[in-house]
Amino acid sequence: MHARYADGRAAIFSDVEVELAAETLIIRRGDRTITWSYADLARADDKNGRIVIRPKKPDTGERLMFGDGYDDQLAAAAPHLMKPRAQGVEGRKTVGALVALSWSLAAIFLIGIPFAADPMARALPAKYRAQISDISWSQVDAFTVQCDDADEATQILNNLAYRIMEASNVPEREDIWITIADAGFPNAFALPDNSIIVTDDLIRMADHPDELTGVLAHEIAHIEHNHIMKNVVRQISAGIFFDVVFGGAGAGQAIAYASVNLAGLRFSRGDESDADSRGMDYLDAANISTGGIARMFDRFQEYEEEAGVGDIPSMLSSHPASRERALAAQARAREGLAPSLTDREWRIVQHACGGADAIASEAEVAD
Amino acid sequence: MTAEASPTQTFAHSGKFFNVFGLALKNAALTILTLTMYRFWARTAMRRRLWSRAWVLGDPLEYTGNAGELFRGFLIALPCFFLPAIFVFYIAPLAIEPTWAAWLTFTFYVVSVPLIAAARYWMRRYQLSRTRWRGIRLGLASSAWSFAAASWGWWILQTLSLGWYTPAARINRARMMWENTRFGDQPFQFETPHGESPQKGMWWPFAIGWIGTLIGSIVSFGVTGFILSALTTAGIITLGADGMMFSLVATLLAAALTAISYFIAFAPYRAAAMNRIAAQITIDGARFHLRAKTLSLLFYETLGWIFLIFSLGLLTPVAGFLQVRYLLNRLDLIETPRFADIGQSVLADTDAGESLGDAFDLDMGVGVI
Repeated sequence: MHARYADGRAAIFSDVEVELAAETLIIRRGDRTITWSYADLARADDKNGRIVIRPKKPDTGERLMFGDGYDDQLAAAAPHLMKPRAQGVEGRKTVGALVALSWSLAAIFLIGIPFAADPMARALPAKYRAQISDISWSQVDAFTVQCDDADEATQILNNLAYRIMEASNVPEREDIWITIADAGFPNAFALPDNSIIVTDDLIRMADHPDELTGVLAHEIAHIEHNHIMKNVVRQISAGIFFDVVFGGAGAGQAIAYASVNLAGLRFSRGDESDADSRGMDYLDAANISTGGIARMFDRFQEYEEEAGVGDIPSMLSSHPASRERALAAQARAREGLAPSLTDREWRIVQHACGGADAIASEAEVAD
Repeated sequence: MTAEASPTQTFAHSGKFFNVFGLALKNAALTILTLTMYRFWARTAMRRRLWSRAWVLGDPLEYTGNAGELFRGFLIALPCFFLPAIFVFYIAPLAIEPTWAAWLTFTFYVVSVPLIAAARYWMRRYQLSRTRWRGIRLGLASSAWSFAAASWGWWILQTLSLGWYTPAARINRARMMWENTRFGDQPFQFETPHGESPQKGMWWPFAIGWIGTLIGSIVSFGVTGFILSALTTAGIITLGADGMMFSLVATLLAAALTAISYFIAFAPYRAAAMNRIAAQITIDGARFHLRAKTLSLLFYETLGWIFLIFSLGLLTPVAGFLQVRYLLNRLDLIETPRFADIGQSVLADTDAGESLGDAFDLDMGVGVI
């Protein structure tokens, strides 16, 4: 059998005679004879039309290249050289191990850590929480304007929130502070330092104080149940997972950045439902009808339909469907309860952040 | 078995499109199934296939690397790169003053420039050390940090010259890479013919690319801005809540058109640079000659980008294959080295895989050779 042999010491092939014996392959090159055991051989080609074999270990650079028509003889003498494994194709065990490894990592980072997010978030030093709050506030300041005519309205809302929290014995009631901000969209959100931001557009969206009160109760529930910091832990965990597994392509970093700014302060649907339910508990305990928040959910629904869900620059778009939430709130609504704010208080709140001008111009339009 | 190749020309690539495409599909499926952890095995299988179909003087190249080495390199990169990165991007923003965190992020990016260059060098060293022809191993000598430091300097000159130093920087990088490349114990040289500029033939194509991109960006942004204002004037869109979305779409569209104009305008430069670099590489007195042409190169590059974009990057190796095949089939060797005098490589093996090369996603699934 003819073949070509390279000795690994010079970049040339020489013509040789090859004999396929029972256990060994014998190469005859002039007077010299080289014997290779089949068990110590590996393939060096990749089905490119030329079978090339080499000693497995150490790789001395010796190569034996067969010409056409010797495949069957070689297969009969050393069948293991014809198996995919000999040509470098990994076995099923390797693929199985990789699947198990990758999905285990995914389970740890995307399920395990989120599951333990609450104790992890509570264990975070206060310094970290303050830092995250500062970042969140810098984001708030970037797209809202603090209102200079809202002191009285702010106090009214804070008194209302305290009354609600006291009725349900919310532990964070001394720390929670509501701020009214001038922004171009209706929204309310809780920050890591237990602040709640309410935008003037949200106040104007409400027709009745109970509608706004329902939103405040919802945000208070987010704070009581530590949803904000849990969410930060979840998102950072996901960020690290995507960065490490996907090779640092930047996806994880984007998630990490998002997790500490306002865009990242979106909660999971589970958190939202939890905040809805707990918020309605507060309202019941404070003798405020959940009919208000039911109407507010309907307004959110209309707003989403008008603006298109993708256009909402707020966390509203990640909430569960507003219609379902409205129905759930309506089911718990009680009749005959007093409004959560007096007419005077409600007027003051409505007039915050230049709301008086807006109400006047709306009245003019109506006339 | 019938030999599908063993071509007679000096350099040739006998890879068949569907053969490579099939492997790329299988790799893509397993990469998804393993949440990308299969990528090391995918890369190895693809290299083995592409290398084995690259023929030089009738004998194929051989890729001897294995996925375990790449995976080990990834594990080495974890503490060396990912832990600092996790600190900079995840912990620092929460744990230290925002100003210091911002400076740390900035520093990280600045340090990344030479680090990427070093990673590219390590990656090439690994790939060459796992490439054999006629049993003789290739290799890359010298320090990756020297290359990184020099690259950093060239990068600064490129930035300060608004890109005009790029042809010189490209030649400098090629020179440093090739002068340290070995085939066995034989070094490659990077020699410029006496009296010629190393960048001969590259400046005009570069100027075409630079000016073409500038014009392309002005036209792209001008046209999209004009369309946006026309739609606003006609009342088809309003500058309310929708206006922001339309502006964003228009900006993205203009940026995409600019990228396309860059891609097209610089095609003559890319072809010229490849040809010029190849012309200056020698080994044992033998010279290389590459015949890359603008239009044909652009065609294969475009095809590659289509694969890349529409497969969300999963079929990137197909793009790499098209380019490797294009170049090899247009490469000639003038004179022949004395192969009988070229002995086995004496350079030490690298066992750190491609480590940071994977972290920076440098090789696009094929290789940087």
